[in-house]
Amino acid sequence: MQKSNIEPQIATYLHAKGRRLGLPIAGNFELTARCNFNCPMCYVHLSDEQVRQQGGELTAQQWLQIAKDARDRGMIFALLTGGEPLVRRDFFEIYDGMKKLGILLSINSNGSLLRGEILERFLADPPSRFNISLYGGSNATYEKMCGRPVYAQVKENIRALRKAGVDVSLNLSITPYNLQDIEQIYRDAVELDVNVKASSYMYPSIRVNGEQYGSGNRLSAEEAAAAGVAWDAIRFSDEEFRQRAENMKNLVMNNPDGCPMEEGEGVRCRAGTTSFWMTWDGRMLPCGMMTEPVVRPLEVGFDAAWQQLREATAAIRTPKECTGCAYKEVCGACAAVCYTETGRFDGQPTYICRKTKETVRCTAQTLAEREKR
Amino acid sequence: MKIRKELIRREIAGDVILVPVGGTVLENNGLFALNELGAFLWDRLESVEDEETLVQAVLAEYEVDEATARTDTAQFLQKLREMEIL
Repeated sequence: MQKSNIEPQIATYLHAKGRRLGLPIAGNFELTARCNFNCPMCYVHLSDEQVRQQGGELTAQQWLQIAKDARDRGMIFALLTGGEPLVRRDFFEIYDGMKKLGILLSINSNGSLLRGEILERFLADPPSRFNISLYGGSNATYEKMCGRPVYAQVKENIRALRKAGVDVSLNLSITPYNLQDIEQIYRDAVELDVNVKASSYMYPSIRVNGEQYGSGNRLSAEEAAAAGVAWDAIRFSDEEFRQRAENMKNLVMNNPDGCPMEEGEGVRCRAGTTSFWMTWDGRMLPCGMMTEPVVRPLEVGFDAAWQQLREATAAIRTPKECTGCAYKEVCGACAAVCYTETGRFDGQPTYICRKTKETVRCTAQTLAEREKR
Repeated sequence: MKIRKELIRREIAGDVILVPVGGTVLENNGLFALNELGAFLWDRLESVEDEETLVQAVLAEYEVDEATARTDTAQFLQKLREMEIL
């Protein structure tokens, strides 16, 4: 299995340049909220009926207009996501159109529809990468988690992509439904020779569940920490695990609790700085997990929307309490985490605080057990 | 000269980038960045018959001695051949 997923230098360079010049280098295009799976922790999924009731999806022409406007402002990377983007009958109208604009495309998919004619079209003109979510290590787990027993089919589809030389990366969401399968999923990744990006942290699905901040169909903070460490224990050799544990310990010990700053930090990632997220119904957000700040490029034009988004993102401040925390360098909290956990960008995400401390403790304990063996 | 790969030329804030499409994605999955001279040569590749014409174009455009123009042009074309772009 590929163990690293290092970004090409040119992408880092273009984002750095984009940050300096205020350019939208990357766009996330959430083409639909519909999906042929029905996963309990999904932050987007709506039924066909719900989509209709909420005004319907953007048309292919509208997506292509937004893509062209973004391309003209500098966008070179785009992620096509959903829902499941391949449920759109006009998917290839959008895909082919964006390719002709000179945009490097990657696709998020559950992998279940990547066969037959759809597969053939992708093999003739592949995206730069497929990010495929693997939800379990058996048909039974798939049925429990997604409502469809298609594990074997998905694996077969991934194998066909790999055989043709298409770049595939797996996304693994560790939840109460598939926790028991993570070793099998690791073995699958090794067999398929693909990288896995795993997370045991599930954002509260505030976009589909209203304002239910801090709740969701997910593991407890302590269970999520244990699951994350278990995944590390599976994928890392003894030496790699020891190094990871040492780094983690040093990052906490070298940054003891101190006085918090008067103001929290701003957004540290690319969201709203060199990247944007377009929802299926035409709203532009910094990140797909958030519900604000929101701007509408189809109403005000792309350039004005991008400018408004950048300004609103620059004003975001995360919790000031985090600035003095000993665990800040090993903590995965970001503006989207704070917002979905608390309803405020500057609200302290206690679920993450608990998960981080337990991750450090559990990593040290696992290291001690491995060294005893 | 014939470009054998499917590549779309983009300009992003002064950088010239080549984006692979079609079957080229399977062979060269990534972006190509051209420096100023690379972009100058790339834009003329398909309209010239031989390397000598490119060298003369470089000499006409840049204040550079002939030996440097020949070496730079040859290196660029060699790189494209190694990547089976040309």
